[in-house]
Amino acid sequence: MNIFEVKNLSLIVDEVTILDDLSFNVKQGDYVAIIGPNGGGKSTLIRVLLKLQKATSGTIKLFGEDQNRFNNYSDIGYVPQRASLIDEKFPATVLEVVQMGRIAKKSLFQRFNDDDKNACISAMKKMSVEDLSSRLIGELSGGQRQRVMIARALASNPKVLILDEPNTGVDMLSQKKFYATLKELNESENITIVFITHDIGVIADNITNLLCVNRSLLESQNPQEVIGCQTMSKLYGIDAHLIHHDHSQCGDH
Amino acid sequence: MEMLEYEFMQRAFIAGIIIAILASVSGSFIVLKRYSMLSETLAHSALVGVSVGIVAGFSPMIAAVFVALVSAWLIEYLRSSFDIYSDAIMAIFLSASLAIAITIISLAGEFNSSIFSYLFGSILSVTTEDVTTIFIFALVALFILALFYREFCFIAFDEDVASTSGVKVKFLNYLLVTIVAIVIALSIRVVGSLLIGALMVIPTVAALQFKKSFALTVLYATIFSILSVIVGMSLSYHFSLPSGATIVLAILVIFILSLVVNRK
Repeated sequence: MNIFEVKNLSLIVDEVTILDDLSFNVKQGDYVAIIGPNGGGKSTLIRVLLKLQKATSGTIKLFGEDQNRFNNYSDIGYVPQRASLIDEKFPATVLEVVQMGRIAKKSLFQRFNDDDKNACISAMKKMSVEDLSSRLIGELSGGQRQRVMIARALASNPKVLILDEPNTGVDMLSQKKFYATLKELNESENITIVFITHDIGVIADNITNLLCVNRSLLESQNPQEVIGCQTMSKLYGIDAHLIHHDHSQCGDH
Repeated sequence: MEMLEYEFMQRAFIAGIIIAILASVSGSFIVLKRYSMLSETLAHSALVGVSVGIVAGFSPMIAAVFVALVSAWLIEYLRSSFDIYSDAIMAIFLSASLAIAITIISLAGEFNSSIFSYLFGSILSVTTEDVTTIFIFALVALFILALFYREFCFIAFDEDVASTSGVKVKFLNYLLVTIVAIVIALSIRVVGSLLIGALMVIPTVAALQFKKSFALTVLYATIFSILSVIVGMSLSYHFSLPSGATIVLAILVIFILSLVVNRK
């Protein structure tokens, strides 16, 4: 089943082409990384997929349904770029933030019930933040906040999790734990993962698909084939020299 | 408590407490959306309605509701549809409204004590019809705020993610500014158009100092707001001062105390 079907997608703003004729599919269970230079249109692509910005031309299908008719929002969990950089003064507890993820599941007059409570607890457990449930979100570290934001996205039991540069403002140790958690969600719960990153080294070991976006889509194939000097040079517009590490010999991933 | 024996004081207290609840609850969402200037701006817009009402000889309160509503929708439309800073839009509306109101009143030669009561509030001016209007609107507004409480909270926290979660962000933003505009216009009798902004913003800012959950922050803001209205109206009665001024001074004292109590 295709989660996203994108055909000939273009976005032109003030006569500047931001996205140029992109076509690609993301299937259920894929683990997709989007890479590309700053200003290359990665975040805009996500915003267009999520209807936060309107495409100039092209078609987008979400779960096989035209984007304009799609309304099953709880199937999509979105964690924006600034997730760990939230307003520290905002008076919300971790539980209140995670509960926001259940709103898509409720109709106008429905209040939160035991199912919602259990889904929130389960999401917080997956992201190891259940002990923080009564803490204010502003009191947490960058890594903890990021986990809470993912717990919020998971609270609706989504089929796809979309993360825009999820490691912004997060230390190295938290990043490693984070990638391990993503992989586990993808493998054990069959949640499709789509994320933007600059961390090419990490993605090479895990992902199933790689989208290289620099206004147009440069590659969409097997990542091991794609991550080469030639593609990187083409993508970033500079001479790239990649040094490959054999992680299996390091003993620490 | 002998002041409560007077009917006009009973009316003022009922209207004041209802306004306190409405202003603090709706104000909580406005403050957390970093939209605090909206209340001040709409209060000035309402003044245009008051001046038109006084000069043209029909209800200043109804005229204030109408002008505040139109201003609120225009501000929200400009904010969401054009690449203009929100605070700049509100600064334009604030000064323009004041300029229009003063021009209308000056041209009509109506700058008298009645406009003074609309600027700073007057417990003597609250009529039975005012209390009824405020009460009916309060029931509707509180029902809407309770119904969309979690959505308003989500939008204040993260508008983009709320939108991707199916929350009707645009509709709810218009709904919230509509409620705020009406609250402000109806508050003019009690608090005055120049001071209602403070009643919407300061209780929430004071409540934020206690670093509690969202639900408790709204509750604290409501308690502070009610407390300031009771103390402010009592001071207004005993010292014959404009009620808006004494209410705002009372909430300022609560704000300063909240800073002192929660000092790091």
